[in-house]
Amino acid sequence: MINLTINGKQIEVEDGTTVLNAARQNDIKIPTLCDHKNLTPYGGCRLCVVEVKGMRVPIASCTLPASNGMVIETETDSLKKSRNIILSLLFSERNHFCPFCQVSGGDCELQNAAYDEHMTHWQMQPQWTNFPVDTSHSRFILDNNRCILCRRCIRACAEMSGNFTLGVEERGSATIVVADTNVPLGESTCVSCGSCVQVCPTGALIDRSSAYLGHDKNMTVTRSVCRGCSLGCGIMIHTRDNRIVKITGDYENKNAGTLCETGRYKTLDEKRTRLTTPMKRVAGQLTATSWDDALTILASNLTSNKNSIAALASTRLTVESMAAFKSLFADGLGNDVVTSIEEGRPTALQAKYAEANGESIEGKLDTLRTADCVLVIGADLSETHEVASFYIKRNMPKGTRLIVVDPSENGMDDLANINLKPKAGTDEAVFDAIEAAVIKEGLARTDAKTSKVSLDVALSACGLAEEDVIAVAHMLAEAVAPVIVYGKGVSAFGGEAVMDAMVRVAKLTGASDSERRGILSVKGEANSLAAAQLKMDVPFDVKNRKVAYLAVGDDFVSKRLVKALDDIPYVIVQASYESALTERADLVLPVSIWAEEAGHALNTEGRVQFAEAALTGPEGVRSNLDLLNEVAKLLNVKLNDDWRTALTARTSVVEIEM
Amino acid sequence: MTKPKISSDWMAGCSGCHMSLLDIDERLLEIAELADIRATPITDLKEPDESGVDVGILEGGINNSSNEEVAHRMRERSKILVAFGDCAVFGGVPALRNMCGTQEALQRAYVDIESNDESGKIPNDPELAVMSNVRALHEVVDVDLHVPGCPPDPDVIYYVLKELAQGRMPEMKDENLHWH
Repeated sequence: MINLTINGKQIEVEDGTTVLNAARQNDIKIPTLCDHKNLTPYGGCRLCVVEVKGMRVPIASCTLPASNGMVIETETDSLKKSRNIILSLLFSERNHFCPFCQVSGGDCELQNAAYDEHMTHWQMQPQWTNFPVDTSHSRFILDNNRCILCRRCIRACAEMSGNFTLGVEERGSATIVVADTNVPLGESTCVSCGSCVQVCPTGALIDRSSAYLGHDKNMTVTRSVCRGCSLGCGIMIHTRDNRIVKITGDYENKNAGTLCETGRYKTLDEKRTRLTTPMKRVAGQLTATSWDDALTILASNLTSNKNSIAALASTRLTVESMAAFKSLFADGLGNDVVTSIEEGRPTALQAKYAEANGESIEGKLDTLRTADCVLVIGADLSETHEVASFYIKRNMPKGTRLIVVDPSENGMDDLANINLKPKAGTDEAVFDAIEAAVIKEGLARTDAKTSKVSLDVALSACGLAEEDVIAVAHMLAEAVAPVIVYGKGVSAFGGEAVMDAMVRVAKLTGASDSERRGILSVKGEANSLAAAQLKMDVPFDVKNRKVAYLAVGDDFVSKRLVKALDDIPYVIVQASYESALTERADLVLPVSIWAEEAGHALNTEGRVQFAEAALTGPEGVRSNLDLLNEVAKLLNVKLNDDWRTALTARTSVVEIEM
Repeated sequence: MTKPKISSDWMAGCSGCHMSLLDIDERLLEIAELADIRATPITDLKEPDESGVDVGILEGGINNSSNEEVAHRMRERSKILVAFGDCAVFGGVPALRNMCGTQEALQRAYVDIESNDESGKIPNDPELAVMSNVRALHEVVDVDLHVPGCPPDPDVIYYVLKELAQGRMPEMKDENLHWH
């Protein structure tokens, strides 16, 4: 511990604490601009200068480590004068005229800092130079005229998304923020995650979609969970007049504010037509009807076909809804085809494996933070689970190495230290080959002496070159904390043998041992793991069924799924949007979308998170859970509402934290 | 005690600050009770008393020789000079033309503008004021109080006038400090 004095107050802080954070921990306010709690201190704006006894000049507190016996002052007249000059200089460098800036009036940290210093005017007038405005990007605008060169965006691009697109060009007051080698943002390597916009303290980076739609003070902010994929990133939904204005990353969640384009922007691109009234098929035409009528038809239909229902639910629904769905159709009505829209493709294999072995083999996403070598197989993380790719990419400059195994093109190919392009469907042989290579090279971190198959046999099965596999063996086994990340490519097409082979390689290379579980799978949609735990992971086999009940919510529906319903006499669809599926349906029940429902989500690493409802649904729609409860009541089925127990009834591939 | 004299004028602005002043509504009567409102653009008297006023208020930046004259005259005749609104305080919206320069702005406004035909030309009557870069009031004369805002909120204006009318200097901070 370190003892220091700030403004006459004795303070004790942990070793390694900066003076700025020491002050904050003790409710002493030091103004800052370039500092951001989720980014590495930079010391660029100098607004946080403090006086340190014995030091010649004021020093930036954000980069100054606290040390024993330090005597600090933060509010002397001379410091106040310095801050005023620092702010004046910042204002004078660019066009900081507030009236026509989107963040003016509460959301601008520069303006707020000036207010805090009681600045009524600028000591120095601007230098009247035009700086470039980059409007080439479809999601946001970069206006260098509003920039104070704090480099938060640059740090966010590197430290949050690991993309390293943003940087600076020129020097001194001519410095500008550029993408790549000063190409237009829209043509750059930017992945549109928008973290730069979220951290920008001024109006230099603004969203196209949310600009000028109101200040934060006019909005209601709801803490929620992204339903874009199974990673379960924490989000903040900013709403105004029952409409989502923007989504930002939740700094307090595990993702520490990081989001991808899907989570921040694509969710708001919704163009589908909303369903607001129940519909039934009359003389071949879907016709609007009342809820009473729809539910009467539904009840009589389900009652007379009780055991002949094929039921399918979206994995974007809340855990509560999914558990109710399972309880209604499987336990209550006695059907065996009660599954999810993913039909277990991203999860069934590992779920069976974990159950058979009675062991959770997978670790938590946090292992990626410390991983110094990552092997990704059967997944294009940059496409399907982009934030996981950020977790890997941002560590690469620190020396983390990446091996990508994918028969087809993969979004992370360019970054990989080694690309393996095996024959399609030979993941087992790939693991066998790595196992054999590790043993052959004497790199095994267990006492295993023999591999399951010889290197030659495995290599000819997967079609990889020996030298490549040997290189992979070295990279993995010589790493301190290697991690294997696998996806749907492995679980959808492999059998138990590929899981076995993967676990063997994990143990052999030290990815998994008694201390650590360095295997992760990214699974599929938001509640993919919950579907597996509820055993809603079987193929949607509709053969000889009389009724299909599909609770797809706001999910997208594949053509294949609609086609599968060709021979079903009666199709009931519980959905939020019009689709090819609702066109095929005989009875359509309108339900709320994700942001209109409160409930839990279980992410890929077994973390249960609560998401609050941010919007009120349109009149006439019901929540997925309310509707299922109502149907159960009509059919006299008692639903099991203990979803927590239901989720943990079978051994999970990853430990579930309630 | 005689009531303090208050006078105002406007320069390169949109007169919005004076409109905001009128938006203090019935509280104007209160101010009129406390102070002697002299020349303003919205009263009959057009120039501040030669004998001087206690408070001079100026809206707008300074964009030509005429504005300069107004600024100097008000400075000379007032004990306390107030820069009133973002244009007087910072230069404001008119100052954006400094980004391209006065000549280019004139060319765009009078000649190149889409609504013009061939006959468009930049006014060059020798009696016209000589244009300059747009400057904040404090770049031209000393300013005693800055009241930013685009326009300043009526509540802020009321507070400022009430304080000045009673011989106190307003404190521009917290709720009373807004630039936009």
